[in-house]
Amino acid sequence: MSDPAELYNAILTGNAKKAEEVTKAAIAANADPGELVQKYMIPAMDEVGRRFECNEYFVPELLIAARAMKTALELITPHLMASGAEPMGRVVIGTVQGDLHDIGKNLVASMLEGGGFQVVDLGVDVPAEKFVEAAKEKDGTILALSALLTTTMTMMKNVIDALEKAGVRSRVKVMIGGAPITQQYANEIGADGFSDNASAAVAVARKLVAN
Amino acid sequence: MPLPGLTIIGESINDSVPSTKKLFDANDIAGLLELAKSQDEGGAGYIDVNVGPRSPEFMAEMVKKIQSVTAKPLSIDSPDYNIIKAGLEAYDLARAGGKKPILNSISALRSKMFDLYAIQPFMPILLVSENVVNGQSQPCRTAEETYAAAKSIVGEFRTRCPGVKNSDYIIDPGIAPLGSDSEGNIHRLLASMKLIRADADFAGFHASVGLSNFTVMLPPKRADGSPVKGPLESAFLTLAMPLGLDMVIGSVKRKYEKLTPDHPAMACLNACLKLEGFDVLMRVREFYA
Repeated sequence: MSDPAELYNAILTGNAKKAEEVTKAAIAANADPGELVQKYMIPAMDEVGRRFECNEYFVPELLIAARAMKTALELITPHLMASGAEPMGRVVIGTVQGDLHDIGKNLVASMLEGGGFQVVDLGVDVPAEKFVEAAKEKDGTILALSALLTTTMTMMKNVIDALEKAGVRSRVKVMIGGAPITQQYANEIGADGFSDNASAAVAVARKLVAN
Repeated sequence: MPLPGLTIIGESINDSVPSTKKLFDANDIAGLLELAKSQDEGGAGYIDVNVGPRSPEFMAEMVKKIQSVTAKPLSIDSPDYNIIKAGLEAYDLARAGGKKPILNSISALRSKMFDLYAIQPFMPILLVSENVVNGQSQPCRTAEETYAAAKSIVGEFRTRCPGVKNSDYIIDPGIAPLGSDSEGNIHRLLASMKLIRADADFAGFHASVGLSNFTVMLPPKRADGSPVKGPLESAFLTLAMPLGLDMVIGSVKRKYEKLTPDHPAMACLNACLKLEGFDVLMRVREFYA
């Protein structure tokens, strides 16, 4: 029988097949689903993030590991739900209106899923009203806004303004990212969080949930 | 020197290049002009000018200053109408030997830029990797969608700016990073180039891509210390140039070359084209790890 600890290495090396195999075996052996996530899976993705940030891993490794994580998570989620466990938090992500560049957004979404968040992906070119609707659906939601262009980044401010106008700004957290985005810009428009890469975005989201 | 048959639009003067952004932020005009000169000397056919979110007046000033140090034609680069307008107005056609500037770039949702043709005729880079459905822009997922986007935007340009020669058009079918290509973009790109090339309506058109995008997010070196990016970009050129690619927005420092099938980068790209989904990423990883 495979050891659940192997799940850590399977995710770290992006071996989706192995991750599936170990997870299935662990579930069949009545392993605690919450423990699998907390003890092996999230630490594995944290290590992936660490390696990415110190240039030992690059985007292909990040994506491959995130896929292995997702494979295992999909198997575990029904058992987690049955045991009453909640996801780390809910993130609604999309590129802002006028921006079709989704590579960075997709990377962040994968890493957040890997980090234990429930991720709702609204896709590209998302109007501010859609983010407002998503904000209304559940308190504590994190809205993650992405923009690649200097001309579309200004739409992030429009989203925050629309949240204010709808009276839901205080019910959500807003994090932003994308090539032209800086912490300074996040401060200027009143966003709650900023990350300049997909791996650090997970840490930012965790901080927002904790606050 | 550039590869025969390939015109390089020198990409260095761009606010999204971190080292150049520093020059912009420090208002180091001499440093920026040095970039223009070195790209000119390095064989660039055009010098791209992207000032980021700075003012139209700044773009105009940069165009004038850059033209004072190079006779190469410029590529005026911004998604912003007013910045492009200022760049075109400042452009000195005679200084560039009568060569029109490139306008980088026009997508279906930015067709207002066609109006600027009246101010200063240009060679438009028409971005055909996105199309408009029900007033909403979306990325093309197939070669057929890309081809249809090309037909549509070229048709609109011809209606609004009649009489432009085919050889003044540049089609950009959109290149995406190989390191995250789990959705077959490289297939779409090459197949769309075949469709465009086979259509007599596009005879004489140029085709261009932002070549550095292809290898962004990959490590600089393979495990044996040899470079990753230049060879993969060369592998792409080896496949795309026979399909009509004759321009790239790229670096004059890269030694672009045609590769033989047994070159590791060529073997990698050819293998990727036969794979799907995450197997592509695994193969790219195998190339460098």
